[in-house]
Amino acid sequence: MSDLDRQIEQLKKCEPLKESEVKALCLKAMEILVEESNVQRVDAPVTICGDIHGQFYDMKELFKVGGDCPKTNYLFLGDFVDRGFYSVETFLLLLALKVRYPDRITLIRGNHESRQITQVYGFYDECLRKYGSVNVWRYCTEIFDYLRMYKLSRTAAVARGSDVSVLSSGNIVTFYRVCFILLSALIENKIFSVHGGLSPAISTLDQIRTIDRKQEVPHDGAMCDLLWSDPEDIVDGWGLSPRGAGFLFGGSVVTSFNHTNNIDYICRAHQLVMEGYKWMFNNQIVTVWSAPNYCYRCGNVAAILELDENLNKQFRVFDAAPQESRGTPAKKPAPDYFL
Amino acid sequence: MSTVEAPLYPIAVLIDELKNDDIQLRLNSIRRLSTIARALGEERTRSELIPFLSENNDDDDEVLLAMAEELGVFIPYVGGLEHAHVLLTPLETLCTVEETCVRDKAVESLCKIGSQMRENDLIEWLTPLVKRLAAGEWFTARVSACGLFHIAYPSAPETLKTELRSIYGQLCQDDMPMVRRSAASNLWKFAGTVESAHLKADIMQMFEDLTQDDQDTVRLLAVEGCAALGKLLEPQDCAARILPVIVIFSQRPEGYGGANAIEFPETDLLPAYVRLLRDNEAEVRIAAAGKVTKFCQILSPELAIQHILPCVKELSLDSSQHVRAALASVMMGMAPVLGKDATIEQLLPIFLSLLKDEFPDVRLNIISKLDQVNQVIGIDLLSQSLLPAIVELAEDRHWRVRLAIIEYIPLLANQLGVGFFDDKLGGLCMQWLQDKVYSIRDAAANNLKRLAEEFGPDWAMQHIIPQVCPIILTIDLLHPKSKNLCSLGVLSAQVLEIANDSHYLHRMTLLRAISLLGPVMGSEITCSKLLPVVVNASNDRVPNIKFNVAKVLQSLISVVDQSVVEKTIRPCLVELSEDPDVDVRYFAVQGLQSIDQVTMSS
Repeated sequence: MSDLDRQIEQLKKCEPLKESEVKALCLKAMEILVEESNVQRVDAPVTICGDIHGQFYDMKELFKVGGDCPKTNYLFLGDFVDRGFYSVETFLLLLALKVRYPDRITLIRGNHESRQITQVYGFYDECLRKYGSVNVWRYCTEIFDYLRMYKLSRTAAVARGSDVSVLSSGNIVTFYRVCFILLSALIENKIFSVHGGLSPAISTLDQIRTIDRKQEVPHDGAMCDLLWSDPEDIVDGWGLSPRGAGFLFGGSVVTSFNHTNNIDYICRAHQLVMEGYKWMFNNQIVTVWSAPNYCYRCGNVAAILELDENLNKQFRVFDAAPQESRGTPAKKPAPDYFL
Repeated sequence: MSTVEAPLYPIAVLIDELKNDDIQLRLNSIRRLSTIARALGEERTRSELIPFLSENNDDDDEVLLAMAEELGVFIPYVGGLEHAHVLLTPLETLCTVEETCVRDKAVESLCKIGSQMRENDLIEWLTPLVKRLAAGEWFTARVSACGLFHIAYPSAPETLKTELRSIYGQLCQDDMPMVRRSAASNLWKFAGTVESAHLKADIMQMFEDLTQDDQDTVRLLAVEGCAALGKLLEPQDCAARILPVIVIFSQRPEGYGGANAIEFPETDLLPAYVRLLRDNEAEVRIAAAGKVTKFCQILSPELAIQHILPCVKELSLDSSQHVRAALASVMMGMAPVLGKDATIEQLLPIFLSLLKDEFPDVRLNIISKLDQVNQVIGIDLLSQSLLPAIVELAEDRHWRVRLAIIEYIPLLANQLGVGFFDDKLGGLCMQWLQDKVYSIRDAAANNLKRLAEEFGPDWAMQHIIPQVCPIILTIDLLHPKSKNLCSLGVLSAQVLEIANDSHYLHRMTLLRAISLLGPVMGSEITCSKLLPVVVNASNDRVPNIKFNVAKVLQSLISVVDQSVVEKTIRPCLVELSEDPDVDVRYFAVQGLQSIDQVTMSS
């Protein structure tokens, strides 16, 4: 059994990896993720999952209902970390699966995959508590908005083209090469998947492809909107978001986006829905939510969307994992992360 | 001089550090208190160190805790037992601090010292200390006092004993619940030292008061001492006075050891228990319901039927789902006590209604005890009355209930026998293969394997293989020999359904079933029936199917002959090892490697 397979088995038991292992895993992950585009093509069949938020045992329940990776293909729509007790184990397991089976699982970025947000909603503190230092948080956030120094020769830099921006000159130059986690995915050219929603700055998928994702999530602009926006029934066109980032968008916006890009519907996460999933605007956009009993107190069910090889849709609704399969609860849950 | 002073110098530092501002330094110093004492000598320890410690009201709990602990083993350093009483003063102060663990440690140390002290010293020093603490203004002193009575009492003269008992009685009725809690948890220790005449009168009165305290934590602590208290009493008294309380609190009757063997006055016990089963508090009913079988086992069948069964009926309709769940998990254990007739007439209807309870835990608890019912009512009746319910549960909306049913199927199959099983449950087993939930599909595949083991390859050949190998069957259906299979009209319809199943996860389940069935069915059937299906599936358009084909082929290497491996498995894996998908290639190469290993070793 390879190291990676062993690490996956260990993470499945909710045992975190050693700091050195996390570092090595993140380095390997970067090599894979850097090759993926802003609008990653994903093939059917695939099972789409919404927010997880560190609810590790509920994610295990998700796999019990949906099937193990790699048997089942998965697309996770972001917000792996924060709020729950096990952000570290949750994110590392998904990342390890990504490294082991890059073609079987796709991870896209949510608004919580950000340095700023994780410092407020728990992931930062959890890393500090579990490892005694913030190194693991640093490795993981580098995966989020990978801003890593690479020493490459000039020829290599030219070969890599726009992936690389030159920071200084000389024979050996330092580059910031950028990655990462994807901003969106396109399933069989028919289903557009993103964490939050649409942006007034974007009307075509090609515009998303040109976004420079080598950055912390900015406070405004297209990249911020993709991660923060919400669809809203009572809004016509665009409206201000109560979240303070992104926009609210109405049915007409979705209709025109879907028409322009020739897609069937948009699949997104980002908002708690008590029934696990919710269609809006005449089945043009669906919200999928995969954290049952969100924050261990909301009482909601969760859902995943199973697409078979012919893009037939099947929602699988599931409850929170029963208490006896949850392991020992954290000794001192920090209540301020909760709603 | 210098040679004497040199080793004393570090001691001076330690003493200095006892007053240092830095907690860590004070702590270090306290932990080495015995070293300081040894250096000072017994005399100066008594006259200087102990008074210093008594006055030194350190504000840090950790320092106080360490001090309380150290003083417990300090007798040798103050000059032996005759001077042990000097240690009581600092410990008395520690008994009154606010931090519980410091007080507990101080009480523990006092007990340690007290148990070694001479009788006269106890009367002169310890008993007054206990009385002072018990009369303390602040509740902390009174809490600590409760833990010291059992040390002070034995050596006290008769009048003092009477006084101590009455003081303890007052503590049991103290205004502060913290004090009553301490009195409750220390009662059994104190009781152990009290003469049996007073035990029955005074102590049992205190016990009964505490068990009726208006604070539930007090009641609980009082009951926890039941076992120890029970051992002190005569069996009759124990049964009369402790047992009702135990029953009332639904503690386990076996907890109080030897006294269990005697006959209980059922007339006293039964009403108490019945009251509990009908208590207003759901928590009490949960605890009582959970003991219903245990309780019935000590009753005669008549009494159980007359008194307990009506309550069980009520509880099965309880408004609290947790009460129903607790009842469901134990009630079938009553069957052997009640006997066959009463079980069928009265218990079974309750059982069936719980089996349809809206709360999944209730249904689950019932299912997990099905085998106990078999033993009592026999398989015929079980199949008549329970099977419809089981069939219903097989489609339960809660997947863990379905899982529990699947796991019960092999046992049921064993008891029902082939014929009956085919009629009623065969279809269900196939239906689970296409369940919405992965865990159910996986369990269903496993279930087929266990059924094949139970009923043998011939049966499996007829009932399972045609369904998990649909592609073969769709061809075979045209063949005249397969007519007997077609006559199972329902099944063949299902088969075609699976054959046309477009969902890759369902096809994956069939592959999984095949890999599990291979070893059970043996080489011949695997080669003729299973392997072709697997090879066929290697042309699937979904990569996930293809790499699972590679995995299945790898698992079948050890089942089939070497020639088949070379002729069929290897070419298929070679083809897969050139697939565009990286995972397909990976698992195909793994398969080829294990073929090579087998070849090399043989």
